[in-house]
Amino acid sequence: MMPLIVETLAGVFTPPFRRKEFFQQLYFVGNKSLFIIVFCVSFAAVVTILESSFHMKLVIQNDSMVPGFAALLILRELGAVVTALLLTSRVGAGYASEVGSMKITEQVDALKMLGIDPINFLVVPRFLACVLGGMMLTIIANMTCILSAMAVSQSVLGYTPAMFMTSMHRFVQFQDIIFATIKGGCFGAVIPLVACYYGLRCESGAEGVGRATTNTVVVASIAIIVIDFILSYTFSYLY
Amino acid sequence: MLSGLSLKIHEGEIVFILGTSGTGKSVLLKNLVGLLTPDEGEIWIDGVEVARFSEEEYLPIRKKCGMVFQHPALFDSLTIYENVAFGLRRHYQLDEDSIREKVDKALRLVHLHGIESKRPAQISYGMQKRVSLARTVALEPRILLFDEPTTGLDPVTTTAVNQLIQDLSRELKTTSIVVSHDMNCALTIADRIVVLDKGQIVEQGSPAELKRSTHPLVKDFLAEVLEA
Repeated sequence: MMPLIVETLAGVFTPPFRRKEFFQQLYFVGNKSLFIIVFCVSFAAVVTILESSFHMKLVIQNDSMVPGFAALLILRELGAVVTALLLTSRVGAGYASEVGSMKITEQVDALKMLGIDPINFLVVPRFLACVLGGMMLTIIANMTCILSAMAVSQSVLGYTPAMFMTSMHRFVQFQDIIFATIKGGCFGAVIPLVACYYGLRCESGAEGVGRATTNTVVVASIAIIVIDFILSYTFSYLY
Repeated sequence: MLSGLSLKIHEGEIVFILGTSGTGKSVLLKNLVGLLTPDEGEIWIDGVEVARFSEEEYLPIRKKCGMVFQHPALFDSLTIYENVAFGLRRHYQLDEDSIREKVDKALRLVHLHGIESKRPAQISYGMQKRVSLARTVALEPRILLFDEPTTGLDPVTTTAVNQLIQDLSRELKTTSIVVSHDMNCALTIADRIVVLDKGQIVEQGSPAELKRSTHPLVKDFLAEVLEA
């Protein structure tokens, strides 16, 4: 895995820069994942705020802190992590099967024979698209979560948007948005690296492609959870 | 997989490498162009020992060699025109008119035209194989490597592809190394036939010499031709 990471990072700064492939991948990662992410994180935000309210009322008989608390949880964890896990299952699995199929049908060897570095051609545009796409989708997911939480807090919990925003202001800092975006970029970087690693090592046959796809989803999901812990722990020292 | 194998191929020769599945024929081809690295031994191409070359060092060697893979290995996301033009754009600083001319010429050589705007999935497997051949010859390599070029093709297309290999090799004056199971074709168009078994050469010679061979594997291959 380390040689792939090093070669990919080197490829980011080494011509030729494949703008066309990058924008194609950005469209695939960003536009095509947008609906599923917005849809899923909306429900995740609704569950978060309702559960927070229920438990806060149970423990301290008051849920006035819920809007701020939920907004903090959304910005620090929920938005970035749920987005990354959804991207893993959609984009990561897609990349692993695509690159794996290219490997077993000798398209990767054909690239080498045509003098094209498969990492520069396949991995680098996907890596850049996922980093940028991950950051943008995390921002959108966080905004969607906040809006969903605000709508539910008004319709179910009785807090007006103004009350929600006031409570949110008390808890949330500007760094939370920056850190969430950084997390989105880091999670986005993991997905194509893991997917292309397993894709490029894919063994022949449908079973090999299936195994590469499964390994990608499992390993990338674990990596995202572990990286989330490391980043959250690191960021806690920066407040 | 390959052990104690020593093989010299002369410029301009058409060499067929025959053998049963799993004997290391494709491994031998992939070793030649650095797609696989041998554990030990030497590979010399044009007086240069290349066995331990890095990917970067292999680039000029691969520019001399064109390889037609067992699978068509066309890029699904590109049209037929873009597939054939792919290597040309990488290797040569050509304007679009010159690229179009070379693509047309390569497709004409494999008797394909009017399919430039189609995607690989929209044409038959046999046509994909011929496009793969066109993509390779468009770069005008001096050495052509064919890895089971007729596997999975119907008899008519098989004959057409074999004829193409012979025509291209003679017309472009390339050295051709063909991995195949097809003894009949080898006897017809090869200058030399090499028979591999368990990673070693068990017989080699001209088609006429092979016909006189007493090796059991060669006899089995010849018996199949006679039966056919």
